Amino acid sequence: MSAFTSPARRLRGACAAGVRVVRKGWAIAAARYAIVLAIALLAYAVVLLLAGKNPLQAYSDTFSFTLGSWYGFSEVVVRMIPLLLTAIAVALPSKLGLINVGGEGQLYMGAWLATWGAITFTGLPAAVFIPLLIVLGFVGGGVWAAVAGFFRARGLVNETITTLLMNYVSPLIVGFFVYGTWRSREVGASAFPQSAAFPEAARLPRFFDTRIHLGLVLALILLLLFWFVLEKTAWGLKMRAIGGNPEAARRLGVRLGLYIIVAMFVAGGIAGLAGMAEVSALHGRLRAGFSPGYGFTGFLISWLAGGSPLGILTMSFVLAVVFSAGSLLQITQGVPFAAVNVLMALILFVVLMKPRLLGRLS
Amino acid sequence: MRVMSLATRMALAAVAASVFLGGFAVAAEPALTIGLLLPGPKNDAGYNQSFYDAALEVGRNIPGIRLIVAEYVTDAEAESVMETMIRQGARLILPCGFPLQYPAVAVAARHPNVRFMHPGGWEVRPNFSNFFATTQLHFYIMGVAAGLMTETNKIGFVAGMPLGFTLGNVNGFHLGARSVNPDVTTHLLFTFSWGDTTKEAAAAQALLDQGCDVITMHLDSPIAVIQTVEAAGAYTIGFMSLDARRYAPDGWITGLGLTWGDYFTQSAQAVIDGTWRTGFIRRGLAEGFLEIAPFGGRVPAEVREAVLAVAEDFKAGLIDPFKGPIRDQNGVIRIAEGEIWGNEKMGDFDWLIEGITGSPK
Amino acid sequence: MNWAFFGGLLSGTIMYGVPLLYTTLGEVIGQRAGMVNLGLEGILLIGASVGFAVSIETGNPWLGVGAAALAGALFNLVYAFLVATRRANQLASGLTVMFFGMGISAMVGRAYVGGGIAGLARYQVPGVAALPWVTRTMFNYDLLVYLAVPVAVLVWWVLYRTRWGLSLRAVGENPSAAFAAGRRISALKYQAALACGFLAGIAGAHLSVALARTWTEGMTGGRGFVAVALVIFSKWHPLRAIVGALLFGGAVTLQLQLQAMGAGVSPFLLNMIPYLLTLGVLLVWSGARRFAAPGALGRVYSGEE
Repeated sequence: MSAFTSPARRLRGACAAGVRVVRKGWAIAAARYAIVLAIALLAYAVVLLLAGKNPLQAYSDTFSFTLGSWYGFSEVVVRMIPLLLTAIAVALPSKLGLINVGGEGQLYMGAWLATWGAITFTGLPAAVFIPLLIVLGFVGGGVWAAVAGFFRARGLVNETITTLLMNYVSPLIVGFFVYGTWRSREVGASAFPQSAAFPEAARLPRFFDTRIHLGLVLALILLLLFWFVLEKTAWGLKMRAIGGNPEAARRLGVRLGLYIIVAMFVAGGIAGLAGMAEVSALHGRLRAGFSPGYGFTGFLISWLAGGSPLGILTMSFVLAVVFSAGSLLQITQGVPFAAVNVLMALILFVVLMKPRLLGRLS
Repeated sequence: MRVMSLATRMALAAVAASVFLGGFAVAAEPALTIGLLLPGPKNDAGYNQSFYDAALEVGRNIPGIRLIVAEYVTDAEAESVMETMIRQGARLILPCGFPLQYPAVAVAARHPNVRFMHPGGWEVRPNFSNFFATTQLHFYIMGVAAGLMTETNKIGFVAGMPLGFTLGNVNGFHLGARSVNPDVTTHLLFTFSWGDTTKEAAAAQALLDQGCDVITMHLDSPIAVIQTVEAAGAYTIGFMSLDARRYAPDGWITGLGLTWGDYFTQSAQAVIDGTWRTGFIRRGLAEGFLEIAPFGGRVPAEVREAVLAVAEDFKAGLIDPFKGPIRDQNGVIRIAEGEIWGNEKMGDFDWLIEGITGSPK
Repeated sequence: MNWAFFGGLLSGTIMYGVPLLYTTLGEVIGQRAGMVNLGLEGILLIGASVGFAVSIETGNPWLGVGAAALAGALFNLVYAFLVATRRANQLASGLTVMFFGMGISAMVGRAYVGGGIAGLARYQVPGVAALPWVTRTMFNYDLLVYLAVPVAVLVWWVLYRTRWGLSLRAVGENPSAAFAAGRRISALKYQAALACGFLAGIAGAHLSVALARTWTEGMTGGRGFVAVALVIFSKWHPLRAIVGALLFGGAVTLQLQLQAMGAGVSPFLLNMIPYLLTLGVLLVWSGARRFAAPGALGRVYSGEE
């Protein structure tokens, strides 16, 4: 670039170059994900053939039912919401080198505390209720995760083990309340162990006449915020520094313990929002065992995405389609629902085999 | 942005593909497509199988029935499963799982031309009916069989979850046993799950260890309990699918079978004819919703006669098990003298009758 | 309180602790070699489905147990391949195995849903019938129950008294040093994974062939994850694993026996106890080196081979 070009022109040139780089990065990333998917789909086609099914028909069914109709697509998006949130809950602390496998438990605690709010303050207007539920969901999951962060910060127990163990406890807490003091006493509904119905004002709004709800907005904002904080702020820089070399960071005077506890609190809070949103927007009541393992899937998504926000968005979408395929192929093709787990495993297997495919070294 | 545009493009391609493929798929238009949703496997010899067998019976009774089955449906998946079935042409949906009621009501509101029949719930809409058998009343007959067969005067009940309907079954069972054997006590265990077979076996074993010698159950699949009881040489009373008998060649007494075949057939025909009506339906032995399973070889003739006599009384409407005075475990009168706990309240039990050991929570 | 309560509690605790013990022993071996395997749930399911299918097809439950053990061992090679050869992330590799197991077991077991078998023969513990508080049905165990503690001792002996065990633990403790000492790290990891899968396969078969005597999808009900917690509880030691397995087995049985007595203790609170105890154990002994986790547990060994 010559010295005579005007600053504006230089700026424009730089921008264009930047866009080209971003576009190229996008294209490469997209191609990589596509290759991984293609290999997994090919392998799964063999499995389907072995089971006596027609893989082409199966894939075209999946395609047309999940993406070929507005309803099918909206349901994929609904499935994505808890996956996005629980994946962020794993990706955030991973930047500090922390492994949060407790998304499932944190999700339950968020739903638990939000339910307490919903059935206690029944008279509130929606404008107050919804923010309250968001805060309660966040605090419920956050405190639960912060306990693990605290133990780690004090050098007592590694957070992987604690969060894993705490996953077992929170569904039991929910069960205890749902079968016990919170059990609905409405006529008819009392036959089933579940909380009283949320007041209408405590239901997250839904959009476009589908089940897509406010949780999507929350998830996308948080994803954007996650990217922004990580890339554009001093906190993000410090977090990555800690993740890269905690000892050096400590010597430079970073308060490691505080970072760990805060990161775990925020992560748990985000997972808690997933639980709050599921219960408030979709079920309208708290029930035992309402999550089919969103927290674990979120862990895998974050890992597959290498903690990158765009990767999280992509993989949440892909896995939401995969799981939609599970119930779908049973109906159209008679493939057992659980067989979809094999496809899930194959995707993971391909990435684990060839981590470079997603541009990562193990 | 790019993801979205890609998705849109793929979606358009898919619509084109499905229209194209759909053109070939339509061979002969079925008279009626039925969508059956089951929370477990269709051949569990229990709850799920009772509905699956009935749906197959519809196919045998009415020509041109197409059946779409989805097993292991969770409430998180249920709505999209039903929507898919409707897209596949289903005009009668049977969401046969207790927690599937809410998703089914939601789907029903979007599809007024599709009929829904839900077992065991309480919601009713113009296109959404509710049906079940009055098992709580008829467990009394099973209780009579248990009360006559037990030698230890301890009979056991393994149940999945403390639902009102389940507590009603236990109460009915105990009342029947007590009517023929005043010394009998009923011992109730919950596994707090519908499908943890290992825990079900453990529960049956715990009852056997406590000295129970006749055991019945309210679980999705009775197989684990029956086989544990059979191996210990004790007696079993079955519930739900009549097929359960084959797991207890030696210790089978009898069972209460859920037989929906005729009802499903009539309902399917009504949908075809356009005469289907909604309702809140609770029926029993007399109306064919229930059947007494054949007796096992070790059941003496006088017990068979006694049980069948009670069953006849039921059909004739001569017996009302839940007629006061009935006391709960704490001795408090829950159904007053002369009062009757009506059919509409069968899901509302949150207490157990005196003489039952176990917790209603 | 009555004697039947204690008899039933003890009898059931042993019975339902055993499949957990086999699984935990397998995971102890794996983790001693530095591998955390979250895929145990999948291996248990493979063991349970294959064990049950072979039992039905051959009519011989012991063939079922054998086939389950082999299937578990072979299946865990997937994990070994990812972790030892591809040096992949262990948690994700474990979950991969779990998903494979959930899917494949459902497909294998599909034809056998609703099946029933007589199961493994049971023999009452000799002499207990003479005790006044023992009923006819208590302490009736299949051979796998009787073998459980001897197997635990065997695992301890192999890990702590043989050269192979020493090498294995060296790999889990400090792979670089082990490599410098001439040990074949990858081979040892494969062997540990085989042993882990073998024992977890037996445990799965014990659930379907001996206890429930039937197959249902997902019948392991999270016991694979419980075993991971149990390894932590037992501080990576095969003999302490016996205590841990009995504790977890006891929690389930206690819950049933208390119900049978009519005591209104919430099963949810009872079920929490083992996990809270495990957390407590971790906190109390977090500083003690004698109880520490293997040094290189969960790490990817990126050294030379």
